[in-house]
Order: sequence, then structure tokens, then C-alpha cells
Amino acid sequence: MAYTLQYGQVWGFIPYLLAGAVLTLQLAAIAFLAGALIGLVCASILSFGPRPARMLVRGCVTFFLNTPLLVQVFFIFFVLPEAGILLAPFTACAIGMSLNAGAYMTEIERAGFVSLRRAELDAAETLGFTLVQTIWFVIVPHIVRALFPPLSNQFIIQIMTTSLAAIFAVEELTGRAYNINAQTFRTLEIFSILAVIYVVLTIVASAVLVFAGRKLFRVRASVF
Amino acid sequence: MWAQLAEEVPRFFGPWNLLFLGTALMHTLLLSYLGALGGFAIGFVLSVARHPRLLGIPPLRVAAIAYVEVFRRIPFLVKLMCVFFAFQLSGTQVAMFTVALVTVVLSAAAFAAEIIRAGLESVPAQQWDAAEAMNFSRARTLFAIVLPQSWPVILPPAFGYIVGFMKSTSIASQIGLLELTYAAKVLNTRGFSALLSFGTCLLLYFAICWPTKLAGEALERRLAVRRRVTSTPQLELAVQ
Repeated sequence: MAYTLQYGQVWGFIPYLLAGAVLTLQLAAIAFLAGALIGLVCASILSFGPRPARMLVRGCVTFFLNTPLLVQVFFIFFVLPEAGILLAPFTACAIGMSLNAGAYMTEIERAGFVSLRRAELDAAETLGFTLVQTIWFVIVPHIVRALFPPLSNQFIIQIMTTSLAAIFAVEELTGRAYNINAQTFRTLEIFSILAVIYVVLTIVASAVLVFAGRKLFRVRASVF
Repeated sequence: MWAQLAEEVPRFFGPWNLLFLGTALMHTLLLSYLGALGGFAIGFVLSVARHPRLLGIPPLRVAAIAYVEVFRRIPFLVKLMCVFFAFQLSGTQVAMFTVALVTVVLSAAAFAAEIIRAGLESVPAQQWDAAEAMNFSRARTLFAIVLPQSWPVILPPAFGYIVGFMKSTSIASQIGLLELTYAAKVLNTRGFSALLSFGTCLLLYFAICWPTKLAGEALERRLAVRRRVTSTPQLELAVQ
């Protein structure tokens, strides 16, 4: 039986679908910010902490990097209730994605710390910079420039990984596509539109980040 | 809770469950390694198609670039659903494993194309010029001159990406393919505690992903060392 694509039935649902993009971006932003904070703490421990703390953080990061995000969220969603902690799907996803992003950003931010050269600090000292001046005028600009490209890349990845929240019935982009699918059964039409939305959304996000990086931090990067 | 868990462990690791988990583990491994293999094959074709000095057919270049950009920007779950429904609507009867494998290959191809492109670009343009001056064909230049030099740039990140493919195969549980994540869900539904089912699942993923990542890191160290050794004589020649 031949199947003909019929987009007519689906057009009406586009505003509803696009409204899901707000939740997608929210979830991505939460995971990104929380992950950046976790990454900052963990990267600091890895760089400057005592040995036992370093080993603990290294172990956790390795475990999170080598297991799938989906199973991590399943674990949080299904295991914590056994211990008496009930979580809403959105909360469980936000926690799982934050922890996962935290592991990735630990690696990114640690690489940023390492890229800071001793000579830069020596130069600042020679010029008579105070500690606050050194941090503000030497360390922060350097680290921001080094970290901006990989972190913006991480944010784009974050937008795409939030699609997993649909599996837990969170109504973001993919979740809403599931809902429309249940109503219309126009499966291929909906998911092809969804794919286009994700491509456009991430390209726009990339373009905004590249533009912001150029204007604010003089980071040279391109969208493609 | 703990007493109940301790009572459950022997039942959980009974022969039937072990066989079930073993099958699931095999599916996950097959899916990720076959997917990576197919992905790198197609990725190689894509990076050859977009390389400015190889084929030089503009429409092909644009198509290859578009494929890579688009497929890297669609979440795996959405790609899986597209492939799944496309197969379903085309009316062909295929196994769930095939659907998942096609998705992994399509997805891996886009990422592999980027790694291989970076590798090919890492070889200086003079190498191409020199080979052309010696009347080497383009194919011979690629296979005899450029590729051997780009392995150190291609291989180490490739292992990292294979770990990524392994992790994304967990999403194939959504179409009901019996792989590790789906197995954990089934065991949990059968009444085993979520801690045991998903904990075992996480550990099994870790047991297959971590060695792959370590192999990549070891390879990176080895290739870096070999590159340094080969570059030393050149330095001496230059000094003389």
C-alpha cells in the first residue's frame, strides 16, 4: 500500500509544536547552567583539591561520561521513588541532564584552566597587578575566550539531548510531536517537521552564540 | 528496603535473567560496532565527496556538507522515529534491529565525516602539490600519501565517538529493540527492583564504554609518541 504524505492536517498543529520549543530551551538552559556550575566546582576540585576529593570527582565524572543519559534519567526517575523520593518527570529530567552536562563541562572547564599559562600570571605580577586585578583582567578574559567555543557547542548539544525528556512525557518539542502523532497518526509528516525545527533551532542558536562570542569576547568562530 | 534487595539479588542473577541480559548486551554491542563500521564507511565517502581536491563536483560537495550539517543537528530520538515510520509506511517488513542499525549508521556517518575531514585537512596542501607533481593520481595520493598521515588525527577521537554511538543505542529501546536499556525496563516491569535493573544496566554500559574510551586514549598516546620520533630526523636534517 502506497503512503502519500499529507501535510495539510499537520499545519494547524505547528503553533502548538513551536510553543514546545520554549520548554525545550528552558530545559536546555537549566541543564546548561546547572551543569556549568557543577563543572566549575568539579574542575576546581580536580585542579586544586586534595587527592581523595580528586579521585572521587574523577570516578564520578568517568562514570557519568561512560553511561547513557537515558539510563541515568531512568535511574533517577525509577530508583529514587523506591527510596521514598517522588520526582515530577520534568524535575527528574532536569536533574539527570544537569548531572550529565556537569560531567561533560568538568572536562571542558578543566581544559580551560589548564590553558592558562604561568607566564601570564608572572607578567601580571611584574606589572604590579593586585590579586583582584589579575583575576579580572588576566585570568577571566583568558578563560572566557578559551571556554566560549566548547561551551556554546555544549549548549547546542543540550538543546538536542532535551528531546529525551519526551520519553518521560515532558511536553517539550518531541513530547508535543508525540501528542500530535497520537491525535492525527500523520507520523512521518510530524517527525520530518520536527527534524526541520531542530535543525533550524540549533542553527539559529549557533548563529546567536557565534555573534555574541565575536562581539563580546572577540572569539573567532563560524556557524558551519 | 535493603533486606528485600538482598533477598532479590540471587533471583535477579538467575540463569534466565543472565541469558536475557547477555542477549541484550550482544545486541547493544552489535548495534554500536556495526553502526560505527557502516558510519565510518559512509563518512569516508562523504568526506571524499566534500574534499576540494578530490572529486571537485560542486553539487556533490554541497550535498555532502548539507548531509553532515543536518544529521548532526537532529536528535537521535527524532532520527530514530523518522527511520522507524519511514520503514513502517514503505510497507517493508524489517526487524527492529535493522531499523535501529540504519539510524545508527545514518547518524554515525555525519559525525564520522567530520572526523575524517579534520584528518584529511590536517595534511599540508604541499603534500597534494608534491604528489601531483610526481604524476600521482588523486586516488593514489589519497590512499598512499594523505590517509597514512591523517590516521593519528582520525583514530583517537573516533574511539570517543564510538562510545557516543554506544550510548545513543540506548534510545533504540524506544522502538522495542531488546538492547540493554530495554532489558532493564522489562526486568523492572517484571517486578525486580529498579535499583537492581537500572543499576546493572548502568554498570554493563560502563563495562563496554570505558574500555573503548581507554583504548582511544592509549592509541592517542602511542600515535603522539610515534609522530614525535618521526619528526626528529627531519629537524636534524633541517639543522644540517
